Amino acid sequence: MSTETRGSTRFVIIVALLGLAMVGLVIRLVVLHLGSPEQDRATSAKTRTFKQTLTVPRGRILDGSSSAGILALNVGVKDIWADPSVLLASNLVSRTVKSLSSLLEFDTAEVTERLCRTNSRFAYIARLVPDEKADQVEILKLPGVHMDDASTRSYPQNSLLCQVLGFVNSDGVGSWGLEQLMEKYLKGSPGLIESRLDGHRREMMDRRIREVPAKDGADVILTIDQNLQYIVEKALDSAMERNRARAAFVIMQRIRTGEILAMASRPSFDPNRYREARDPQKINRAISHTYEPGSTFKVSVIAGALDAGVVKPETMFDTENGRWLYQAKILRDYHAYPRLNVADILKKSSNIGAAKIAIMLGNERMDRYLRAFNVGGKLGIDLPGEEGGIYPAVAKWAPISSSRIAIGQGVSVTGLQMLSILCTIANDGVVMKPYVIKQVVAADGTVLLRRQPEALRRAIRSDTAALMSSLLARVCEEGGTGTKAGVEGFRVAGKTGTAQKVIGGHYSETDYMASFVGFLPVENPEIGMIVVFDEPQPLHTGGAVSAPVFGEIAEQVVRYLGIIPAEGSVPAHRAAPSASNETF
Amino acid sequence: MIKKNRKKTQTKFPVPIPLVALVLVLAGLSLVYVCLQSRTETLGREIKLLEASRDRLRDQLVRDQCEWARLQSPSNLEQALKQHGLVMTWPNRDQIVRIRYDGSLDTPRGLDSRQASRVARADRIVMNVN
Repeated sequence: MSTETRGSTRFVIIVALLGLAMVGLVIRLVVLHLGSPEQDRATSAKTRTFKQTLTVPRGRILDGSSSAGILALNVGVKDIWADPSVLLASNLVSRTVKSLSSLLEFDTAEVTERLCRTNSRFAYIARLVPDEKADQVEILKLPGVHMDDASTRSYPQNSLLCQVLGFVNSDGVGSWGLEQLMEKYLKGSPGLIESRLDGHRREMMDRRIREVPAKDGADVILTIDQNLQYIVEKALDSAMERNRARAAFVIMQRIRTGEILAMASRPSFDPNRYREARDPQKINRAISHTYEPGSTFKVSVIAGALDAGVVKPETMFDTENGRWLYQAKILRDYHAYPRLNVADILKKSSNIGAAKIAIMLGNERMDRYLRAFNVGGKLGIDLPGEEGGIYPAVAKWAPISSSRIAIGQGVSVTGLQMLSILCTIANDGVVMKPYVIKQVVAADGTVLLRRQPEALRRAIRSDTAALMSSLLARVCEEGGTGTKAGVEGFRVAGKTGTAQKVIGGHYSETDYMASFVGFLPVENPEIGMIVVFDEPQPLHTGGAVSAPVFGEIAEQVVRYLGIIPAEGSVPAHRAAPSASNETF
Repeated sequence: MIKKNRKKTQTKFPVPIPLVALVLVLAGLSLVYVCLQSRTETLGREIKLLEASRDRLRDQLVRDQCEWARLQSPSNLEQALKQHGLVMTWPNRDQIVRIRYDGSLDTPRGLDSRQASRVARADRIVMNVN
């Protein structure tokens, strides 16, 4: 064999071997990529695949003012936890607890006990830690200490509007008030990322398997104005202190639309610390608490009698000098009058006069009018926990019932129902559905829900409503029971109420519900408001306790809302506050 | 004697040309694959960094919104006014001038016509005129 031939053969062999090696590598590559056994592939996929749920911020709750103040929003926080096995192995438990206790607030004994559990690899040190504090912890670079992202609901205005807003529980679910009612809009929908990890357990973006984008929670915009709410709550707090009342509430409504502008209830709580709140603090008394309305209820019966044409404002009634025996029961007036006409029965709040009007109206007609005013039924406000009140069916009325219902006894209503009666009169006799949610707007700006004013029904004729407005305005004028509700430059219409509370099945002689419900301006009504105090002391009448609060709030509200007094309206008489000037 | 032919005989290329071409194509493709992979990984890392940055900024925005809402709250504003000794009250009825669409004025009591016209020119609601 020649030298050339031998050299050529060796070259071919080498090339062939290299070729074979290359082919082998290619085959191995193909096998690794496509053809590895099923089990290996499954194990590999399991260890190198991860799924991450993308939590979304819950939607905000905004007020209805032009500045759209934020009433509730989600804020990012951190959950700080440790791996006890790491801390124990390096004998760092006490040092870690000491370092962290200077920055965070926690029970050191409890946390130390948790970190000393030998069989555990996870123990919370502190939850919902603000980012600023978490950053300080991070600087310490403590071994075995880790942080997870979390979020918490924050209410920047603290207790303002607390019962209406409600709160979110530790699982992030709305559990009270609007947070509960609007859960489906506020919570949004979480996203998902499914992807593969590299050898350093980092996500390989090019191997992302699935990505479902998260949908942020929608914003809920209320009709309630935070400035009006503040005015109301401030006045209510000072009146609560002044009158040493057990509880109180105020509702303010826009007459023509039914929008609720403010709703406050006392006692209250801070939703940022909802765990510390007791049940009575969480109750929204404005819609959930039913009470016998007392004299304020006379408005509905007298309006019905005028509408039915049974009486006229000048129709005279014998008011029996303040003491009348009817169906073997005595009915008394707070101030004794021998005779009063319908207009003065309302102005002086005569029980006997109102009872006689109710008897003249008759049970059936009275029932029809009361139901038209929505007595005994829910108004359907967009808040959880609304009560419908207690109103017996007319068939079950005793002979004395109409005379007692006419003065607000034997019937229970919510503050919202009572306000609705006055607002109906102010709104030309049309009952409007009250609402607190103006609209719901998605994160991308799409309007998901827009509420429009909704008329429920006509309760009385327009001319009767106008007549009732003028009669109710007299209540707040000289000689009426509601003079303290007056607002300078405006004519105010309203009615006082002082209801004895039923305690142990009997009407109490010491515990009262003092209320005032009214609207203004009489000529072109803009706002209606009810103020109710539960067991005020020492003054206990609506005229002395609630009417001044109405006046105090209304005085500021007309200026804030820019309500213009009607041409030629006479400045209201405002009696000087006096402890002895009790009115019924 | 025949003269030996010293001219080198033309030998044929030992590896088939198509095989070489195939190897070259495969090598080229591998190179492109590695380049693309590297580029994708770089982009992936950048996306992750940007996502983290976006989340941080979003958190910061929410915290600032929360703080702003707290600062803007009526109770805080009132407290701030008190702290700085600023006394602000609602104007009385006679301190407000309302300018109607038709240009006429609802002048407060005690405001003479000259003052009223000055007010009208100013095109605003006058508060605290004594």
